[in-house]
Amino acid sequence: MRELFNAARTGFAEIWAHKMRSALSFLAIAAGSMVFIDAFSAIVNTYSQLEQQKAVSGLARLKVTNNRSLSLSNTDGYQMPPVIDYEEVAALRRQFPDLYMVSPEAQDWREVLQYDGRNVVTSVTGVTPDWTKRDFIYKLRGRFINKYDMDHKLRVCVIVRKAPPPPSNDYFKQRRKEWNFTASFDELAAHNDLLDKTVKIGRVTFTVIGVLDALPYSERPENLLGYSNDYQVLAPVTTMYSYNMLGPYDSLEVNVDTGNEATFDETVRKIRNFFKVRFGSEDAFVIENQMGLIRERMAESVRSSLATVSLGMLAFLAGGIGIMNVTLATVFARTKEIGVRRAIGASRRDIMLQFMVEAVMLGLIGGVIGSVLGWLWDVPIKVILGMGAAKISAWIPLVSVLIAAFTAFVFAIYPAWVAAGLKPADALRAE
Amino acid sequence: MSIVCTDLAKVYEGGKSGWPALRGLSFEIRRGEFVAVTGPSGCGKSTLLNILGLLDEPTGGVYSLNGRDAGAMSDSERSALRLGEIGFVFQAFHLLNRLSALDNVCLPLLYAGEYGAGMRHRASELLRKVGLHGKERKTPLELSGGERQRVAIARALANSPKIILADEPTGNLDSVSSGEIMEMLRQLNSEGITVVMVTHDLGLAGRAGRNIRIRDGRIEP
Ligand SMILES: Nc1ncnc2c1ncn2[C@@H]1O[C@H](COP(=O)(O)OP(=O)(O)OP(=O)(O)O)[C@@H](O)[C@H]1O
Ligand SMILES: [Mg+2]
Repeated sequence: MRELFNAARTGFAEIWAHKMRSALSFLAIAAGSMVFIDAFSAIVNTYSQLEQQKAVSGLARLKVTNNRSLSLSNTDGYQMPPVIDYEEVAALRRQFPDLYMVSPEAQDWREVLQYDGRNVVTSVTGVTPDWTKRDFIYKLRGRFINKYDMDHKLRVCVIVRKAPPPPSNDYFKQRRKEWNFTASFDELAAHNDLLDKTVKIGRVTFTVIGVLDALPYSERPENLLGYSNDYQVLAPVTTMYSYNMLGPYDSLEVNVDTGNEATFDETVRKIRNFFKVRFGSEDAFVIENQMGLIRERMAESVRSSLATVSLGMLAFLAGGIGIMNVTLATVFARTKEIGVRRAIGASRRDIMLQFMVEAVMLGLIGGVIGSVLGWLWDVPIKVILGMGAAKISAWIPLVSVLIAAFTAFVFAIYPAWVAAGLKPADALRAE
Repeated sequence: MSIVCTDLAKVYEGGKSGWPALRGLSFEIRRGEFVAVTGPSGCGKSTLLNILGLLDEPTGGVYSLNGRDAGAMSDSERSALRLGEIGFVFQAFHLLNRLSALDNVCLPLLYAGEYGAGMRHRASELLRKVGLHGKERKTPLELSGGERQRVAIARALANSPKIILADEPTGNLDSVSSGEIMEMLRQLNSEGITVVMVTHDLGLAGRAGRNIRIRDGRIEP
């Protein structure tokens, strides 16, 4: 312990005596430390986002739709492919009561919504109470559609208010403008509190029982499936059938979360069988296995953040080689001193220790500087540059400093070993 | 501490067959002696002293220090003997210029495991003994040659060695300083320390207890 302390004192004096040289080697390791912090906070962010996504979207997801491309045309002319109607969904529910979510939906496009003397184009999506169970990135005021509304086909609806779009470039702004045919609806919803008001959709009058405010983009997890439906007005799917807003040719898309990843494949098979029996053919419907897709996407983002971490490791490697270079240079510059120390009684171990401690101190100081720079980069500078602050947990800089010290330690072994191996008489003769 | 050398030889690596520096030296130095080693330049005096001080190893013959064969010692044993039993004084002083006189004297004490105020007290006592009281804070670069050599002697004395090996300790000094250093070594010898001193100065050699003359790597009769 005492030896360590002495070595540290000598090392510090040495570092201080060669400020420039030391500063350069700090910087090498500091760069490593900085990249590491950036990369590691990125990976931690990715992980926490994935966790968030899993919590919001679920994993054991699948989607059943009718096969729109199925052609049953014969000499009698064109025949529509079979559709999934509410009866099928209700039967599915009865057959599999354990499914966490069975959420059918169908959209009625380009209805006209009338409110306060204004007419705006909107789409109405027929849903069930299960709709809220997954991908619910909203804040609800009022209430959502419940079983009573469903059973009694009540004319109630829920209005969705969009969050301001994330910042993007002119091109995307232009595209959005071009494609957003419900812009006037969004504006109406944004500027009027429609809760408990009545609106007329087509020829049917609805009561607004709830308003969903979409969470701002910064607060919601990214959609793992890569797409999301655009909702304006939600109404009970039964009501929509009953008021002919959905017709016999409109097929429901059924979003399912089986609620159990382990038995997912088994459940998918059972659901496939169920529909096969109902339709008499496997060609009539499509089951999209979303769990596989989600898993793939997650693996991909983990892979890409691992790539950044390997970049950080590479930077440490470069820093370590810098430390090795500096330590080796110190050994050659101080050969005479090594000889003097050996002559007055320093053992090989003492010499080795001295150079190791010195290098580890370089690594530690470099690691601390790098952590500070890394923090500056990840928090204030990124904010100034408009990239948004990275989340840095307290342990990341700590680990980074430790890795810096460890790298220095590893890369100092060889130079220190060279120093300790010098013959005293030869070392003393050096100039 | 007794020094016994039998047929000691040293061949430096190089050339076809190497450079012979010592070609078979046999002599004995008993404890408490003051021996001056003399001889023309290049005859192998420094080589001999390095071997006696365990800084180098002979390539032939046997060197036994206090009855122990030096060739059989491990590096750490040799280091421990240099630390505790042997003190060196060199012509070129070999002080660490970045450290103060006091810190230079503290160095062997640190390696011996001493620390703190006790260590610094012993170091300043030693500096007082060699007549450098009040100059503890100066670095070697701020001291004269004679003063530097005194610091070196104080450093050599730090761990109370039984032998002092001095390689031309007065080689870089004027005659007045030389006389003082010589007097100091004689004083230490009278306190019981064995002193082996290499010198070109026959006058100084004459004041030693015994002379070993070397020529061409051999002892002159
Ligand atoms: N490291 C070395 N490699 C090769 N030859 C060496 C080495 N050191 C000394 N020699 C040779 O060994 C011989 C003895 O050298 P040494 O230094 O012992 O002489 P010296 O008696 O101390 O001389 P001086 O009085 O000039 O100091 C010389 O011929 C020298 O050239
Ligand atoms: Mg010499």
